[in-house]
Amino acid sequence: MRNEWILDKNHLSYWLRQLRKERELVGPLLNGGKDIVFRTVEQIHEIVLDLPASLPSPKEFLLPQYEPMLRLDIPSGEPGVHYRAQPVSPDACVKGSRAGRVYDLAERRRRIVFGVRPCDVSAVRLLDRFFLEGYRDPYYEQRRMNTLMVTIACNNPDPTCFCIGLGTGPYLDGGFDIQLTDLGNRYFVQAASAEGVRTVKATSFLFRRPGKADHDDQYEVILSAKARFRKRISLESPRGMILAGRIKDDFWQRVAARCFECGGCVYECPLCTCFTVTDRRYHGGIERARLWDTCLFKGFTRMAGGVLPNEKRMLRTKRWYYHKLIHYPEVLGGFGCVGCGRCTLTCPGKIDMAAIATAMKGLDLDGATAVVGKGRQVGIGEVMRRPKPEETGAGPEGEG
Amino acid sequence: MKRKGRENVYLPLSADVEEVIPLTPETSLFRVRPEAAIEYSPGQFFMVSLWGAGEVPISVASLGGGDGPLELCIRRAGLVTGALHGLEAGDTVWLRGPYGNGFPLDLSRGRDVVVVAGGIGMAPLRPLILWFLENPGAAGRVTLLYGAKRPEEIVFREEMDGWRERGVDVLLTVDTPAKGWEGRTGLVTALWQDVRSDLQKAVAYICGPDVMIRAAMGELFLLGMPEERIITTLEAHMKCGVGKCGHCYAGPRYICTDGPVFSYREIRSHSHFLTG
Repeated sequence: MRNEWILDKNHLSYWLRQLRKERELVGPLLNGGKDIVFRTVEQIHEIVLDLPASLPSPKEFLLPQYEPMLRLDIPSGEPGVHYRAQPVSPDACVKGSRAGRVYDLAERRRRIVFGVRPCDVSAVRLLDRFFLEGYRDPYYEQRRMNTLMVTIACNNPDPTCFCIGLGTGPYLDGGFDIQLTDLGNRYFVQAASAEGVRTVKATSFLFRRPGKADHDDQYEVILSAKARFRKRISLESPRGMILAGRIKDDFWQRVAARCFECGGCVYECPLCTCFTVTDRRYHGGIERARLWDTCLFKGFTRMAGGVLPNEKRMLRTKRWYYHKLIHYPEVLGGFGCVGCGRCTLTCPGKIDMAAIATAMKGLDLDGATAVVGKGRQVGIGEVMRRPKPEETGAGPEGEG
Repeated sequence: MKRKGRENVYLPLSADVEEVIPLTPETSLFRVRPEAAIEYSPGQFFMVSLWGAGEVPISVASLGGGDGPLELCIRRAGLVTGALHGLEAGDTVWLRGPYGNGFPLDLSRGRDVVVVAGGIGMAPLRPLILWFLENPGAAGRVTLLYGAKRPEEIVFREEMDGWRERGVDVLLTVDTPAKGWEGRTGLVTALWQDVRSDLQKAVAYICGPDVMIRAAMGELFLLGMPEERIITTLEAHMKCGVGKCGHCYAGPRYICTDGPVFSYREIRSHSHFLTG
């Protein structure tokens, strides 16, 4: 028996209330009427399902923007503890004898994230490989084990979406916990993971088995969703062009010239995982926490003594794209991009993944210079604009 | 010792500081004793931390084995290392590890060895020399080429005399000689002709500043040493040591888990390693 069911839409909120008894329910909400965010659902009717992509991606429930890792409790009056006022300085650290105890702060809350997009679930499959292979990351692992994701196939992709070119959406054949496909008055429900199957079966009285009409409707809905994509972007050809040496540094130079180094793309990206670790002091102890960080920031690789291996912005921008287009597939077997389109929404310089892939396609064999030399504008136009002589070598960091 | 399974890799062990020995004005050797015995090998590193200051990767400067203390050679360079330099015997540091691949020790069996070090780059190479001294069959003739900016910045200077007595060719050079300096002056890469081994048949282990590593590797290759026998250890900013934080990411590799020890062959095939 295949793990497929039909859920009447009238039963959805009842089902969610049942799920909420076991777990914290998180879903897409309109925050302040504007921002689309995944937050804890207080009122089930506040969940809005027909929304564009959330910012940031639901990765924040597996790798939060700020995640406490460890805490050292310092008993007050402990001799030998040098514990002075903020800010953190060489003098403010704990030098003492074995003062206090260290606690593991890994979050073990059981959570259900409802309304996740298929692209974001595709991203989680790569995150699983990244965080759980080699050394296992205990914080990710705890959160992952305790999180159930209910995916809703995208019948109405955003104008920025291009998962269809990457096979990461708008509908998945597997790899999800539970996937819902909206068939108008009912959902076609599929469960792929053991926990997903168990969850559906726990309230099996709400579901019925699908008939031929249900399968036919689902097939039709998926087909018409696939027809709605405005962006048809493959990342195979940019990857191939880079590997063939057709993308020269002057292309990245011009991309970097438009980079604001805001980190927006990285923070919203469901596949960017870099973090920094910091110690924060509070009353009675010190907390070691990790925070999102980005390789686009100049100080990301700064070593003791002030050495900056990646001083040029061009190298950092290039590195980000290389990581996603070249190294991610090489190491983890999939692009470091699932086509969610979030960087298209956030990038103020319009050098998001879709724009870069489009711009590269416009290149001929001689690379960027030749194309620009002919005065052609390709892709998003200005990326391909040849910098004026005074712009080269006189960038904010003297790049040239 | 790869800690896998359900244990938290980010959880540090406490270690008692037994002794802090100043080596140069900016560099000290910290002898610490972790709460539980830890096995490690030359070329590996630990994430060393002080609560409230942070964590830094520090390569291990002792050979390990036996019940001696763990030794860390640390230069005062930033916030955390500055804080570490405030420690005295009886204080506590925290560490987790060892991480990284370590030096390929079997490479030198039956071959002469040239150890090339610059400044505090001696720290990760010291256990290697100690290993060759303790295992006479592990290598042929061992030559140490060591360069520092000034004579007072030479680390392990007295120990080097002992190495010399035990058969290591120790060649010292400084950039800026001081009064009474009788050694050589100039770059460490100017000392090749003083090496009594056939460089083409030898193995080189290199650590030092980025420019020195690059120059030494390139010149040894030009002198005919095969690129897979030119070994170096790289440093990078790291926050986790276990391949997750992304800070030491170089191309498809992570310096913390795939390195920090690489051969010139690996470095040449990934131009990302040495930037600039």
